[in-house]
Amino acid sequence: MLHRTKIALTGASLIALSTAAFAESHAMDLPQASSPWFTDGQAAVEALMARQPNLNRAKNVIVLVADGNGVGTNYALRLFDGQQKGMMGEENVLPYETPEFYNALIKTYNINAQTPDSAPTAGAMNTGVKQRFNMINLGGDALIDDCSTVAGNELTTFSEIVTGMDKSVGVVSTARITHATPAAVYAKTASRDWEDSVPEGCDSQVDIAQQLMNAMQAGTIDFAMGGGGRFFLPADMEMGGLKGSRADGLNLIETATAGGVQFASDDESFAALDLSGTAPVLGLFEDSHMQYEADRSGEPSLAEMTKAAINYLSTNENGYYLEIEAGRVDHANHDGNAYRTLTDGVAFAEAVAMADALTNDEDTLIIVTADHEHAIAFNGYCGRGSDILGLCMGVADTGEMNNGEPLLAADGKPYTVIGYLNGAGSVLVENGNDFSGARPDLTQEEAIDPDYLQQALIPMSSETHSGEDVAVYAKGPYAHLFDGTLEQNVIFHVMHKAVTAE
Amino acid sequence: MDRRLFLSAAACTLFAPCAALAGDEIRLRDLYNKDQSFSDLALGLDGQSIDVSGFMAPPLKAETQFFVLTKRPLATCPFCETEAEWPDDIVAIYARRTITPIPFNVPIIATGTLALGTYTDPDLGFVSRVRLTDARFARA
Repeated sequence: MLHRTKIALTGASLIALSTAAFAESHAMDLPQASSPWFTDGQAAVEALMARQPNLNRAKNVIVLVADGNGVGTNYALRLFDGQQKGMMGEENVLPYETPEFYNALIKTYNINAQTPDSAPTAGAMNTGVKQRFNMINLGGDALIDDCSTVAGNELTTFSEIVTGMDKSVGVVSTARITHATPAAVYAKTASRDWEDSVPEGCDSQVDIAQQLMNAMQAGTIDFAMGGGGRFFLPADMEMGGLKGSRADGLNLIETATAGGVQFASDDESFAALDLSGTAPVLGLFEDSHMQYEADRSGEPSLAEMTKAAINYLSTNENGYYLEIEAGRVDHANHDGNAYRTLTDGVAFAEAVAMADALTNDEDTLIIVTADHEHAIAFNGYCGRGSDILGLCMGVADTGEMNNGEPLLAADGKPYTVIGYLNGAGSVLVENGNDFSGARPDLTQEEAIDPDYLQQALIPMSSETHSGEDVAVYAKGPYAHLFDGTLEQNVIFHVMHKAVTAE
Repeated sequence: MDRRLFLSAAACTLFAPCAALAGDEIRLRDLYNKDQSFSDLALGLDGQSIDVSGFMAPPLKAETQFFVLTKRPLATCPFCETEAEWPDDIVAIYARRTITPIPFNVPIIATGTLALGTYTDPDLGFVSRVRLTDARFARA
């Protein structure tokens, strides 16, 4: 019996070997060999085989974070960007999806949260350890909103480490510069909400805006740009188009400029900045968050701020660390408005392309990632080229493009490609003490309107994050370490390895 | 008279409420330019009765004739904002009568007299740049 099994296995192995040999020797004879899918696939393998790990020490590290741009949202971004360029969309390649970029999946949960928020996720990237929900750069023993647990739990940030290596540090965001992701570059706080004040009696930390000013005075931050101007001016004081809200009466902008910091608050003052590296830069372009890219007027784009930051920081011959955040991809997802999510996503992709164009792979590690995903989801079975904002169209029997016929659900109504599991777009509306409803009918024109909210299920005022993985993409020194499925705090350790490699 | 306005006015009867005019109303965003200045459409309609589509933000207080019309449902995101934030492009609605709130994510059409220019509400302290006065509203 044993003998017969052995013979059978030997026979199967021989067949497999002969089949492989046949395929190898006749690869170009395969009926599909001339297909672009086949030749492109061969080229992709060649590109992967040509990869050589870059073992240089990184002089510069740039981390670009699209807040809330998990794998699903990034899929929508790929299609939207492609469709804006006249493609069907699915075939599009975003600037960080080329073979030059290594990538991995990232697990984003917080110490005490399955669904993460942006404060501890950014903190994990900036300190190398996971952190607690709604807190920034404090160890796991600190407690939310408890100022008394700050002292002794402060973590050392990557910006502090590289400052010790005489590098410069920059932080750019389209959200308030005191918001979670940018704050994680320079702040340590028991609450991400303490942007312009701390509770009475709290003497273990100052508010986040003051921490930024302290960091700029200490030389830990050299370039800062974003929104949130109101947290830097006394309540009701107006300056440069900003209106302050600080109850303590501090004028942090005056403090900064008196200390030699350059200040910009609009397009014109942005263009007038001296980027020679002689004087630190502070740009605050809105009282709160900067405008969505779709609505932007009178203030720089994320790519323009990225260019200014790199031009400024690259004047330091010892290099720099720069964190850039597209903060409002997240906000538009919270609104359930895919149009602004994706137009801000395109602005992010353009910032990545700008950073890549202005730097050298030999000495600059570029990391592209997100902090978390959202409760976004995708319907099927849509034909190729279905407008990612619009209705799910049927699959065509011939050719590639969809058949132009909206698919109908069991209720006889069409549906969009994108949907949200929860949020303001819920098909259930408040009706007395309960929620009830039916899906509204929908036309393509309504669905692709810039202000349309894709249909959602669970009614919530604000759509939520999700715990789903995000991706990380990287090129430059030690980018090849991004592989497999990693914890989010590993990003810090790759950055640290890259800047300290012997 | 603007044909659209004429149709709106003519159709607002007991048997065919304004809400039946979906598609003829002015979109809130069309009253503003991108730089938040007033659009030519808004300037041309100042002082006239118009229909504007949008959403009712949760009223600031009970038993009120005032609410804010927003172009998208006013999601209140605890992770985005630390305090109440109003979008730049809103319309303050001063209704004829005490309002019955409509859920914030249900499309409505508000009809009233367009008034442009900065105005501070003496009771609420609410500062508005665009208002509809003597207004009524219905689900779209």
